[in-house]
Amino acid sequence: MNKFLSHIFAITFVGLLSAPADVEFNRDIKPILADACFHCHGPDPGSRKAGLRLDTEEGLFEGDPPPIDKSDLNASEILYRLTTDDKDDVMPPPENHRQLEPSEVALIQQWVKEGASWEPHWAFNVPKKPVPPLTDRTDWARNPLDQFVLKLLEDEELSPAKEADAPTLVRRLSLDLTGLPPSPETVEAFAANPTEDAYQALIDTMLESSSYGEHRARYWLDAARYGDTHGLHFDNYREMWPYRDWVVEAFNRNQPFDEFTMEQLAGDLLENPTREQLVATGFQRCNITTNEGGTIVEENLANYASDRVQTVGWVFMGLTTNCAQCHDHKFDPITAKDYYAMAAFFRNTTQGGLDGNIKDGRGPAITVPTAEDAPRWDALPDEISEVKKLQKERRQLAKEDYNQWALEVTNDALEADLPKEGMVLHRPLDPAPAISNSKAIDLGKEGDFESDQAFTASLWVNPSNVKQNVSVLARMDVNAKHRGWDIYQSGKRLSAHLVHEWPNTAIKVTTRNNVLEADTWKHVTLTWDGSGKVEGVKLTVDGKEQKLRINNKSLQPNQTIRTETPLVLGRRSTGASFQGKAQDLRLYTRVLSATETDSLANLGPILKTLAIPTEKRTKDQQKQLFNHYLSTVDTVYRGHVKTLEKLESERDGIASRSPITHIQKEKDGPAMGNILMRGQYDQVGEEVAADTPEALGALPEDAPRNRLGLAQWLISPENPLTARVTVNRFWQELFGQGLVITAEDFGIMGAAPSHPELLDWLAVSFVESGWDVKAFYKMLVSSATYRQSARTTPMKLQKDPHNALLSRGPRFRMDAEMVRDYALAASGTLSSKMGGPSTRPYQPEGVWDVVGLPGGDTRNYVQDKGENLYRRTLYNFWKRMAPPPNLEAFNAPSREVCTVRRERTNTPLQALVTLNDPQFVEAARRLAEDAIAKTSNDEEALEHVAKRVLLRSLRTPEQAILKSSLGELIAFYQGHPEEAKALITVGDTPASAAIPPEKLAAWTMLANQVFNLDETLNK
Amino acid sequence: MNLLSELQAAQTRRHFLSNGSHLLGGAALASLLGNTFQQSALASGSIETHFPAKAKRVIYLHMVGGPSQMDLFDYKPEMAKWYDKDLPESIRQGQRLTTMTSGQARFPIAPSKWSFSQKGKCGMWMNDELLPHLAKSADDICWMRSLHTEAINHEPAITAMQTGNQITGRPCLGSWASYGLGSMNENLPTFVVLVATPSNREQEQAISARLWSSGFLPGEHAGVSFRSKGDPILYINNPPGVPSNIRKRTLDSINAMNAITHEELGDPETLTRIRQYEMAFRMQASVPELTDINSEPEHVFKLYGEEARKPGSFANTTLMARRLAERGVRFIQVYHNNWDHHSNVGGRMPDQCRDVDQPCHALITDLKERGMFDDTLIIWGGEFGRTIYSQGGLSTTNYGRDHHPRCFTMWMAGGGAKGGSIYGETDDFSYNIVKDPLHIRDFHATILNLLGFDHQRFSVKHQGLDTKLTGVEPAKVVPNLIA
Repeated sequence: MNKFLSHIFAITFVGLLSAPADVEFNRDIKPILADACFHCHGPDPGSRKAGLRLDTEEGLFEGDPPPIDKSDLNASEILYRLTTDDKDDVMPPPENHRQLEPSEVALIQQWVKEGASWEPHWAFNVPKKPVPPLTDRTDWARNPLDQFVLKLLEDEELSPAKEADAPTLVRRLSLDLTGLPPSPETVEAFAANPTEDAYQALIDTMLESSSYGEHRARYWLDAARYGDTHGLHFDNYREMWPYRDWVVEAFNRNQPFDEFTMEQLAGDLLENPTREQLVATGFQRCNITTNEGGTIVEENLANYASDRVQTVGWVFMGLTTNCAQCHDHKFDPITAKDYYAMAAFFRNTTQGGLDGNIKDGRGPAITVPTAEDAPRWDALPDEISEVKKLQKERRQLAKEDYNQWALEVTNDALEADLPKEGMVLHRPLDPAPAISNSKAIDLGKEGDFESDQAFTASLWVNPSNVKQNVSVLARMDVNAKHRGWDIYQSGKRLSAHLVHEWPNTAIKVTTRNNVLEADTWKHVTLTWDGSGKVEGVKLTVDGKEQKLRINNKSLQPNQTIRTETPLVLGRRSTGASFQGKAQDLRLYTRVLSATETDSLANLGPILKTLAIPTEKRTKDQQKQLFNHYLSTVDTVYRGHVKTLEKLESERDGIASRSPITHIQKEKDGPAMGNILMRGQYDQVGEEVAADTPEALGALPEDAPRNRLGLAQWLISPENPLTARVTVNRFWQELFGQGLVITAEDFGIMGAAPSHPELLDWLAVSFVESGWDVKAFYKMLVSSATYRQSARTTPMKLQKDPHNALLSRGPRFRMDAEMVRDYALAASGTLSSKMGGPSTRPYQPEGVWDVVGLPGGDTRNYVQDKGENLYRRTLYNFWKRMAPPPNLEAFNAPSREVCTVRRERTNTPLQALVTLNDPQFVEAARRLAEDAIAKTSNDEEALEHVAKRVLLRSLRTPEQAILKSSLGELIAFYQGHPEEAKALITVGDTPASAAIPPEKLAAWTMLANQVFNLDETLNK
Repeated sequence: MNLLSELQAAQTRRHFLSNGSHLLGGAALASLLGNTFQQSALASGSIETHFPAKAKRVIYLHMVGGPSQMDLFDYKPEMAKWYDKDLPESIRQGQRLTTMTSGQARFPIAPSKWSFSQKGKCGMWMNDELLPHLAKSADDICWMRSLHTEAINHEPAITAMQTGNQITGRPCLGSWASYGLGSMNENLPTFVVLVATPSNREQEQAISARLWSSGFLPGEHAGVSFRSKGDPILYINNPPGVPSNIRKRTLDSINAMNAITHEELGDPETLTRIRQYEMAFRMQASVPELTDINSEPEHVFKLYGEEARKPGSFANTTLMARRLAERGVRFIQVYHNNWDHHSNVGGRMPDQCRDVDQPCHALITDLKERGMFDDTLIIWGGEFGRTIYSQGGLSTTNYGRDHHPRCFTMWMAGGGAKGGSIYGETDDFSYNIVKDPLHIRDFHATILNLLGFDHQRFSVKHQGLDTKLTGVEPAKVVPNLIA
């Protein structure tokens, strides 16, 4: 049909309905078909009716009869079906919830009659770099990006806004590139010299500041669903902040985005992966996990994998792959088989189904030493195995010396070989005294150790029964909240206490196994390394280190355990006595090594063995004697033991002061999975190999069938989605919404791009630049589009209500973290410290314990002191079951699942946060102090506040409003000095003593007002 | 002061202060406000109900952990003969168990240690020892003994009960109600959550804010948690040293400044912010009165019990729920914990019942006296039931019970629910349903029906799908539950 005719048709049939001049399939028709028809005539064969599908070209134009007959368009079946009165034939069927509007029917009619030109879904075609369009106006565009924007504005008969003034622009730039407001000086310097060179220099400075990476990381951590707890049930602490710091660092060193992708998805599968590349795989381990009793491991693992598929789908592919978990996708070409083939990539992990409620989640995890520790940490494994090798060799070589020794050795010499270094007390107690209620033995002033003093207590015990719960050896004052320490018989088990105040600051451990027997001699030692931590206690029985149950670990480093009460064998300062015998008590002011405790424990048996003639000794007895020789006599071997102990303690020391982080680790064997029917873990279907969705281009033949292959596929130039999805998300960060509003869904049901050509141009340019992230942001903020004033007009509000056409500059309420960081920065209280364990700033009481379980380690919120109260919000501890409430109010997600775009609401609860949260009240007071201290009158102080917060001078009416408010506030606080004092003591920093409380209180409230202005809260 | 007069006041001040320079005229202001209100109607999202609602508001009392149905409501006299005998395989039918008891060598039956008798005209069999108060309301209550669900562990089960799906991330019932019905007041949230503290805390289960999240509905439909300790609403109280009148003055000044910003840039969101700051102040002003529970007359404390004076107790929470309902809160979600009786049913159940028995009866009575019973729907129940066989040690007076999703009892009252009716039957073992199974989807569909919505049509677009509380599996309204 020729154009003229179709025009006639349009007029005749469409009549007065305002149809677009030309109908585009992807823009106008497919959304209608998708919404109204695909459910029964789409990709999912399970719900497909009449074998008909309208989502493919073949389905639309072939068949008998074809829905659309290219040879006779007017006779097309689809036209009949849409308009017939026959209830059996009309489509959609009358019982369907979705019915077509007359305007929609008209559009389809128009499209068919204009030739029914069909296009594949835009997002599944590899983007090509379009030529920027020509525009009427030629003096506006600063880079090609602007030409695309301007063209659309001109089409809509809108003109761009003029460039924002210097303070507004610098503020916007700083907030977008660093997440923080600029300093007033930066603004003034630029305002004085607002040249293009100065603007470019400003951009470069900001891109180079470390705040840049912190700000970018914040968005990424939403996508990665990073949190500091496991997320389910107990929601206990999970340690993986090294991953968070890795993300910050990756942005700061401008890691190309393809590498960034590769390392997070497959860092562990790269050749000789670095520690950083392993840390990067934490991206896949951020998903929530559980340890709930009764849950089924297989089901949990299925859930973990599905979360990873969903995340990769939203973040890299822009597809709601998760929809295909239970059935073939209703709209996009992803089958359930594709879904489980994707899941197979992520199921092939050594991770278990239960996280153990412990910080390493039962692994896989690695220790991440500091830069200073790293060289030693990396060298130690080899050094340790080297010493072990030497030890082994020496065992062979020492035989000769041993034989000589065994011939000559005497009992006294054996005694003399026992450890002497650091021994502060030795009571042989020979013959062994019987201890009972009246016969506890006072040993005097020895053993008065401080908690940071390492020590060892060693003795032989022989309890007369295994029902008693009493101290065997104690220096403990029962009447001073049990301060002191002891070795304690807990029935058949052995315990030890180190107590500052029982039970709130104390350590208690008990052997897991039964180790004591009635009327039987056992050698026991208690060693304490002075670390102040429960890991520093060890108990050995007959030379064997015991596994311990931790009963109490509340002792804090630096809390004293010293007491006046004497060391007593068989009792504490008062109370019941041990019943039994004891012998050979020794105290050392150091931790005895395992071989040393072994030698102490072995002395008795060895003496017995020696009494046996050489030829009659059993193999075990010979071995025992040889071991004793090695550990107490052989200098070379003892040297190796010492070296080994030193190395191991160095290793343990680094491990104990270093964080761990969760990583991904591939299981042996190919990555396979099973289709789970309707997503149910226990309804296992066909086995599938790891693969990418078929319709999007399967993995190349030679690609590895694991996450490495997946990552390569995502970043390959043929992948139509990754670059588009990524630049769209970057765009969204700056402009408030993406060119595709549904940043997670580029599929058929996702929003169509507002500027399709611009999106492709950006995507291709980004890839051509080598996925250079900083360069990309620089291009965006250099554009004229970005630099527009946010001022709007009624006409623009009508034609472009959400600024999708970019008819003005971006202006929207800042994200939660920025709102808080802003107040800290503008009040001069923000700490610049980067990285490290997550911080716990002010939080109302009872937020955690309402959801916490008894025994959970994130039930009690212990607020930080000092600098950590003022760190960037990025570092806030994120408990997933109860995220920081002042951030949640501003739409911060819970980080339980991937979030690629936050909501942006405007609620009264937000007002309550910025008005009343101590963090904001204190910031207002600190700003007030600064303003008063640095100025000499009210006008100047007001100006100071405005410059710090709004980055500009006040206008006359604003000045009048604030001055009038200030007058009232001063009058009030002068009349109410108690109220003034109460207000200025909010927060941990003391109020300035140099300023009268009434004045400071009034100015605090004034600054609080300025922090609450719409202008402050908006970018 | 309402927004209009406030803005006008701000405008007048600015007129005065700026010496009559060009400022927003009255007509322009009115039209801007018109805009704002249109937007707010969209934002607060109340959509038209599909048919007249029977219930205007809901008080949902969730018993966290899963109460034991056969010890409270599902009378199984046959079981006395089965003491310590194994649950027959014919009854268990290979039903999946939690890993807490799947390793048990045997499944010995634990008959309830309590006596039962019939209550009310409806003749509902109830625990005769632990629920003396609730028994008096038997004929006001719609009893449902045949609820069932798929989930077998707390986290997924409670999520399914609240959101219709075991996987977290969907909107909960309260959010759907808020989204569908909107607000009935100007100074309190539409959807409020109250977490009661049980008097016995032996075996609490995790509950988290995700249970009252709005999922993919707009964030304003998330539940707002009212707390019994500290600020009733987070950050609702001014900092020390800031009395209400001073706060009001500073808000006036903030709003006046914001009006200038609006004039400057024309962003409608600025007007919304002005309204939200006004709303924040109204909330601040209304909460002290709301939470001043001591203003209730003596006879109310007689009704709910003296425990109602103790902040955070279930009685106190229930009374607070009534006060919120009275003040126009649409949906009040209450959680009461410690019903997860894997052991020591004998020891814990009396404590649990003492917590909830009198307040539940009181709530029904109280709402009746205030004429609010007929349009307030009360819902009571847990996320699943418990097994007839004992977990761990068994004696005639004490035993434990594991999770059981195949049947459990809940009840509704008021708000169009059919009082004095008993729905559903289970077998002699309270293990399988033998009559009128009631899947939680059907239960949700029925609740939505009482709120005026056809669950099939009450949907929002999410990731291309019309997503519903009742999900994709078939669900049906149960007419027998409706008065």
